[in-house]
Amino acid sequence: MYGELRRFAEIIAQVLALAGGAILIVLVVLNCVSIVGRAFVPLDIGIGPIRGIYDMTEIGMAAAIFAFLPWAQLRDAHARVDLFQKAMPVKFNLSLDLLFSVAMAFIAVIGTWRLYLGMQDKLSYGETTLIAQIPVWQGYAAGLFGATGFVLVSLFCILRASRRLVGLED
Amino acid sequence: MSNFELAIWSFPVLLLLVFLRAPIALAMIGVGAAGTYLVIGTPMMTLNQLKTLTYGTFSNYSFSIIPLFLLMGQFATLSGMSASLFRAAESFLGHRRGGVAMSAVGACAGFGAICGSSLATAATMGQVALPELRRYGYPGSLATGALAAGGTLGILIPPSVILVIYAILAEQNIEKLFVAALVPGLLAALGYILTISIWVRVSPNSAAVRDRVPWAERLVALGQVWPVILIFVVVVGGIYAGIFTPTEAAAVGAAGTGIAALASGEMTWARLQEAILSTASSSAMIFLIILGAGMYNNFLSLTQLPQTASVWVGDQGFSPWFVLTIVLLMYLLFGCVMDSLSMVLLTVPIIFPIMLVLDFGMSPDDFGLWFGILVLIVVEVGLITPPVGMNLFVINSMAKSTPIGHTYRGALPFVVTDIVRVAILASFPAITLWLVWLIDSFGR
Repeated sequence: MYGELRRFAEIIAQVLALAGGAILIVLVVLNCVSIVGRAFVPLDIGIGPIRGIYDMTEIGMAAAIFAFLPWAQLRDAHARVDLFQKAMPVKFNLSLDLLFSVAMAFIAVIGTWRLYLGMQDKLSYGETTLIAQIPVWQGYAAGLFGATGFVLVSLFCILRASRRLVGLED
Repeated sequence: MSNFELAIWSFPVLLLLVFLRAPIALAMIGVGAAGTYLVIGTPMMTLNQLKTLTYGTFSNYSFSIIPLFLLMGQFATLSGMSASLFRAAESFLGHRRGGVAMSAVGACAGFGAICGSSLATAATMGQVALPELRRYGYPGSLATGALAAGGTLGILIPPSVILVIYAILAEQNIEKLFVAALVPGLLAALGYILTISIWVRVSPNSAAVRDRVPWAERLVALGQVWPVILIFVVVVGGIYAGIFTPTEAAAVGAAGTGIAALASGEMTWARLQEAILSTASSSAMIFLIILGAGMYNNFLSLTQLPQTASVWVGDQGFSPWFVLTIVLLMYLLFGCVMDSLSMVLLTVPIIFPIMLVLDFGMSPDDFGLWFGILVLIVVEVGLITPPVGMNLFVINSMAKSTPIGHTYRGALPFVVTDIVRVAILASFPAITLWLVWLIDSFGR
């Protein structure tokens, strides 16, 4: 059972992170194309920068960062200070880890819920980005994929931290 | 409890959480949200903010430079340029006493010009240089110490992720900050090379010397590093010439190192995945801290702490230089235990307004650049000071035969150089600023 859940969490985290990476690479290419296009503007031959490249970069980047969150959570990549770790009892550290895993999952749930409400707000206002006129709610929707994955993976991390506390293997 | 007292008390609470190994982002989000609740008496404001704050932070155009620079650095580690940089540096310096270690530092400086992260620079150069250093009989302490210190050049020499974050927080011009960082970055490399030179003279026989390389071969080796120079000139030059925005420059840089990685044949499908996953975890970590710092700073501004504190400091009539010394010492101290990024995110929004009140006899713009470089250096020293110096750990884990204690001792002389350099740059702001002034005078 746990083994399956772990594999499930790993697949979610990895697929989302790689998808985010793909978005990042697409943004790299688009930005380069746009710069080259802008270089042609003085020639006035109908080639120019990509319209709304800033908007696209912003939306793509938000989607990518949300998609990166589950991977960082699964890999314990969050910055922390390990100064006193060795000085404290193992059980104490593991209990704290469990507590922080619960807190992180709580924040993931709240954050995703509010992101969803934020999307609904943007949808009802019909707000669009400045130049490319992309509906802003679509950016939020793209972010929700990663955010949902973050919730699932951080819930799994609670389970993992509890198992570590009682001495079961990862 | 008054709001001001709340703000003051939030520091020890935050530090306690951090020292209990709470993820720093989590601690900042928690304390920020709890503090805001205590000030306003309802969680609704934080909840309403969260509808747009997360997305707003993650989609911020200025911040989007960070993942792109991280990706650029990851591709750079796959480009094989670390090896050609090391070979080029070795052909010029290898025949001197301590020359192989000096070459490692020189190559780190070159790599720092296309990589904005210290850990990536230390790890990549470590792979290339550690076997060579062992072959020429360098003691483990010198080899690991020099490489750990050299790794910090990744961030001291632009492009640099920490500088980007400072620029955004202190509302400084990223272009000018990159230019201002250039001379201090080169001075850092020079300082490290000098340290090595003194080390091998104090304890002779600590290293063998290579044969002198003829000039023709040197030039050939130098010719091999042209992609590094090209990418650096296009990225940093392009930003400053106003050809593209810093974010676009980072995209161009990522494309450049990506192409170099493809050309080197190192970029297999598996390696590409690794590069992406590594970019993913660093980016997510950084953005979560940015989010946390945003929430914590929102709370602090509700309590008016930054304004109150800067007025208070202004009223005390402290000598500006005294305050600067205290602030830099504080960064050095905290840097021993805290990660540099969290430190910058946490402190700059509070410290910078206070420092702006003080009169250092220069324009606010110049001050912002100069102070940014000083902060950059002192937080980076934290990467090579025990007990929590990440670069030390990274390099030490690659040099299996060297005990961590030797690495600690090996890094100390380099820490001393860093402190001397900070003192010099603090005393003579013009060293940092002249290049900015020069380029400005061309009126771009």
